[in-house]
Amino acid sequence: MDDRHTRRSDAELEAILRDIDPEDLELLEPPAEVWEGIEAAVGATDGAHETVVPLASRRRSVRRAVTGIAAALILVAMALAVTLTRPEGTTVVATASLAHDAETFDALGAQAQAQAELIVEDGRHSIRIVDAALPVPEAGADLEVWLIRPDDEGNVADLVSLGVVDPVEPGDLDVPAGYDPDVFLVVDISVEPRDGDAGHSGRSILRGPLQGI
Amino acid sequence: MLLGTPQFRYVRTDRYGLGVASPERQPGEPGVDSVEKAFARGDEDALREAYLRYGGLVHTFCRRTLDESRANDVTQDVFVSAWRSRERYEPAKGTLAGWLIAITKSRIVDHVRAEQRHALRRSDNDPSNVPVTAEVERIGDRLMIAEALRCLSDRARRVIALHYFDDLTHQQIADRMSMPLGTVKSDLRRGLLQIRHQLESAHG
Repeated sequence: MDDRHTRRSDAELEAILRDIDPEDLELLEPPAEVWEGIEAAVGATDGAHETVVPLASRRRSVRRAVTGIAAALILVAMALAVTLTRPEGTTVVATASLAHDAETFDALGAQAQAQAELIVEDGRHSIRIVDAALPVPEAGADLEVWLIRPDDEGNVADLVSLGVVDPVEPGDLDVPAGYDPDVFLVVDISVEPRDGDAGHSGRSILRGPLQGI
Repeated sequence: MLLGTPQFRYVRTDRYGLGVASPERQPGEPGVDSVEKAFARGDEDALREAYLRYGGLVHTFCRRTLDESRANDVTQDVFVSAWRSRERYEPAKGTLAGWLIAITKSRIVDHVRAEQRHALRRSDNDPSNVPVTAEVERIGDRLMIAEALRCLSDRARRVIALHYFDDLTHQQIADRMSMPLGTVKSDLRRGLLQIRHQLESAHG
């Protein structure tokens, strides 16, 4: 970029080196929110585009968690999904009753309840969590909403994170562009420790397929 | 998704106050070379690994030149930008630390200049009088030298420190460390090469 810098003589280097003081040697660690911001920014990009790497790891971790999900659940959902209509403006086009599976889900959600509504506004999808009684996760963890694309056997073929929700006021979450709720039709809420792993923790508390009204 | 805070590796310091980055590498832990290649390839975890290694370096540069809030913003911005443009990083041409510092430098200069334009608009001063780039360059160079020192072996770092910080002659260092004179000279030589490599990496 600049020959002045790339062609420094040894004498120049030594002069800078002699001039180093303790302040130059001290490293200041960034606060935690910097990394959180990086992850959020990069994660948002990954969700919106076809970034294969994170999804692959999510698939692996979630497949373990949901192997054995009822195939019947999927058949019902697929039958109903095709009946979904897409009116203009803001419209609830499908709902999901989310249920807790005591055998395979995280016990934190044993008493949890929620409905999910699929909303279309100007051709964009979002998921609204309503009628919810959600547990507050342990310190250092959040509740996160996912859409799952099941395979023919009801296992997780793919999934996408819609983001973190407030247990008290869950609100609306946009479905990233490129993810069709006719295919990613199972709504899942999980407990996600802030452990640096962007994949699903395997700790689902509620789940249910979207069904047309 | 909100995630946990990585634990930084700069835990040990020696008598010169040099944080020693991961001196005892854990089995299976990737070395600097493989982290750089993994970053260029866009491997999962490479961003986190790069942040663990160089988050402190980038942030220190920001804190030395910007206020705390802006320093946090720029540190975040540097890693996000670097990750998104990772295909432009070529490990063969320089260190990842140097590449990150080069990005940081340009972001800092942008911030400082924008701030000065804002201030100067109110005071009618001549903006060309402000030596922003030179000062930012100077701090960046010193931080890259410190980074180069951290990458040296304990022995080479000690030799460099005794010579350049404590002004000992080659012979005095050889006596002090019970080393042959030739080894002292070669440690110094290799140390300077390492420093030059780091500095040149930060200048593109």
